[in-house]
Amino acid sequence: MLFHLAWATLTRHRSRTLLAILGVAVSAAMLLDMVMLSSGMRVSLRNLLLSRGFQLRLAPKGTLPFDTDATIPNASNVIRVLRTISDVAAISPVLGGQLHVTVAGRTITATALGVVPAVQGDYEVTQGRTPSAPNELVASDDFLRASGAMIGDTLSAATGYDPQLRSFTGRRTLVLVGRAHFLYMPAEMRAVALPLATLQEMRGGEARDRASLFMIRARAGADVADVLRRIQAALPSVTAVSTETAMRQVDQRLSYFRQLAFILGAVSLAVGFLLVTTLVTVSVNERLGEIVVMRAIGVARNRVVLQIVMEGVAIMFVGALAGLALGLVTARYLNSILASFPGLPAAIDFFLFEPRDAWGALGLLTVAGILAGIYPSWRGASLPIAVTLREEAVG
Amino acid sequence: MSGAGATLLAAHDLRREYHMGEELVHAVRGVSFQVARGDYVAIVGPSGCGKSTLLNLLGGIDRPTAGTVTIGGTRLDQMGDAELTRFRLRHIGFVFQRFYLMPALTAIENVELPMAEARVPREQRVRRARELLAYVGLGERHGHRPAQLSGGEQQRVAIARALANEPQLLVADEPTGELDAKTGTEMIELIARVNRDGTTIVVVTHDEELARAARRVVHMRDGVIVGDGRQDVP
Amino acid sequence: MLAALLLAALAQSIDSIPARHAPRSIAIDERLAADAHIAIGDRLVIAPAPGAPGDSVIVTAITRRSADPSEVARAEYRAVMHLDELQSLVGYGDRVDRFAVATRGGASTDSAIRHINDAAFGFQAFRSRDIAVETSRTFLVVSRFHRAIGVITIVASAIFLLCIMLLKVDERRRDVAALRLMGISARSIVRSVMVEAALVAVVGSAVGVALGWVAAQVINWHYRGVYRTPLAFALVTPGIVLLAVALSLVLGLAAGLLAAERLVRVPALELLSGRR
Repeated sequence: MLFHLAWATLTRHRSRTLLAILGVAVSAAMLLDMVMLSSGMRVSLRNLLLSRGFQLRLAPKGTLPFDTDATIPNASNVIRVLRTISDVAAISPVLGGQLHVTVAGRTITATALGVVPAVQGDYEVTQGRTPSAPNELVASDDFLRASGAMIGDTLSAATGYDPQLRSFTGRRTLVLVGRAHFLYMPAEMRAVALPLATLQEMRGGEARDRASLFMIRARAGADVADVLRRIQAALPSVTAVSTETAMRQVDQRLSYFRQLAFILGAVSLAVGFLLVTTLVTVSVNERLGEIVVMRAIGVARNRVVLQIVMEGVAIMFVGALAGLALGLVTARYLNSILASFPGLPAAIDFFLFEPRDAWGALGLLTVAGILAGIYPSWRGASLPIAVTLREEAVG
Repeated sequence: MSGAGATLLAAHDLRREYHMGEELVHAVRGVSFQVARGDYVAIVGPSGCGKSTLLNLLGGIDRPTAGTVTIGGTRLDQMGDAELTRFRLRHIGFVFQRFYLMPALTAIENVELPMAEARVPREQRVRRARELLAYVGLGERHGHRPAQLSGGEQQRVAIARALANEPQLLVADEPTGELDAKTGTEMIELIARVNRDGTTIVVVTHDEELARAARRVVHMRDGVIVGDGRQDVP
Repeated sequence: MLAALLLAALAQSIDSIPARHAPRSIAIDERLAADAHIAIGDRLVIAPAPGAPGDSVIVTAITRRSADPSEVARAEYRAVMHLDELQSLVGYGDRVDRFAVATRGGASTDSAIRHINDAAFGFQAFRSRDIAVETSRTFLVVSRFHRAIGVITIVASAIFLLCIMLLKVDERRRDVAALRLMGISARSIVRSVMVEAALVAVVGSAVGVALGWVAAQVINWHYRGVYRTPLAFALVTPGIVLLAVALSLVLGLAAGLLAAERLVRVPALELLSGRR
């Protein structure tokens, strides 16, 4: 009965109730978005880093992977040392560079990754196959679109340009054998991948036996932190980074977004709370007579409070559901803005929806709805009956 | 509780004072009187004589500054708020001058409200609510909201609501105060019928016609009873 | 490229690297000075790779980064040294990554760009402004994000304001009814509500501007510490204040107008009786 009374009271003032629900919906949408933002980046980066099962990365001393153009010398020695560590299951060396590909008189410049195709973790072949010979390569969609090349085509490629002679250096003829999705590249990036040894040869002296990065997969069940320690001890001239370390570094650089998320989320919740508390207060003030009469006819005080609080909770709850839908839409929009960060891997989402985020936001809003209604309803339900009726009669 | 004729309501040396601004108002000054079960008492007097305050004290919606109120042998002044609320729910019915129906509920839902609070099962309370509305002459209007009812119809619903939990005592404060003469007469007849059917009634009124319908009239002036007499009911 | 090599070099322990020749001067950034406890006059050895032979240098200056938003998240250390020394140290030969050219300004810049590009041997000239636009793309993304949040906030504020105005005006429906019955016109009542709404908007804006200014100081203090940059992250300018006040006023007036119009449309007796 009390729930029915609460609902009937809300529907009696339709426009006011709808507007309040809309206000709460916007609040809820913002809260949900901020909850998604605070964890989305982290979760999606973590998922990306672990997507191919490589838990550790080696980078030039003092740097993060591909943070600079620096490379690690004596790559073959590094691999030899890593193989002596028992819990290392797979090692994927990667060398970065540029490739200038001449097609139909035009030169397309692409970011090139030199990898060992059998163990690589940088791309997924979507059409064709991975390189199996030294003179083969795979390319991204954007590269294929820009160059007009098709799988099976022979391409003339170079890794450098001599400004004095105005000619390309490190030339090689390569066969395009596959289309690939590059996991760590930004969207719309022209990228290619070819065998590591081929890229090292093409780049010549400066790149001989060098790598930009090693990705390492530990054996199943191994203690990754322990493997990291052993690698650091065996190879002090490189920086070993676990997924957690990489996450911490990224967290620190992007702490701004987490803090913004927290502040905006808190403000959204506070505003929603204020809106509901104002609505309940006005509603109580308008019907003091009804409220004290309910007490007069024998409805217990806490039941009167419950009925009024239910009005606030109903607004919060319905608003929160509407806000959930709105939040997902606005999150997509905001994500599309942040996803255009230069250099950001396309697989990274800033706003990642996890059902527990929705439950968390809904829970927060429900609690806020309860708290928002408690004081004004308790105040109203505690008024002296006779005095209030007298004042209402006079008023 | 004993049958008709036995004392249902007893007030002893009731006093009620309250502050109005800087002034201390003595609304009720040492009133003592009793109401027998099944009786119909009208409390009359000029404006400001304390009759409504006395009614509030008798009905348990106000606490006396001093004195006692006993209904069916139970002392109201010794009860805590929650206990008193429960007592009012089951033993006292209220009718107000301004009706005070819940505007968001229909007529039948208004009548159901006290029964729902008393945990009466839904089927039972709906049945009783329909019976009560038929009893007060609104059998066909149970689905209407107060805004769709006239003043007289709203007051009938209020009476039906007051009777919902079969109270021992019905108190009414100026029940005809906001009604026109014709509707007022109908209301007086309804209240008399309720009394004839066994409910003890205490009303406060300015309405002479309503006062004439009661079997006993208590006159108040300046917070004290100045007259108390029986009369023949037409 | 050179910065990357130098980075590797500066990670080295000073004592372990043998020097190649007499020390020259170097300037390091204040982050490196603070983190490695280096002061002016200190002698360092810098090398192109960990453990490689290096050069002995003396720190003669400590530099501060400029307030460049594109560098905010970059945590690497920086050093400034003599060009020929760095070229020699990292084996770069007679090469550089770029030249910065100062012109007489205006048309002479365009003319210089044209002449350089015509004669270029595998390099290209750009205006510094165009480079700045390219390198500040990160900042532009953040700016767009902030603007989107701002728009959402404004929409939300408009809804809240309308809701609150509706509630507050509704609360006084009996007063409004009594005034109407006394002969006060609906127009006068609407005007009075709008004046009230405008006052609330102006006072609210003033409080909001003060709060915003304080918040901006706190934000700048906090993020300057986090990112170790002199960059200002939040700026309250006269233009922003004007926009905020104007927007609040417009929204407040609109909310007041809508709420008041809604109420005066209802016949006064109905308002008084509480039937609406």
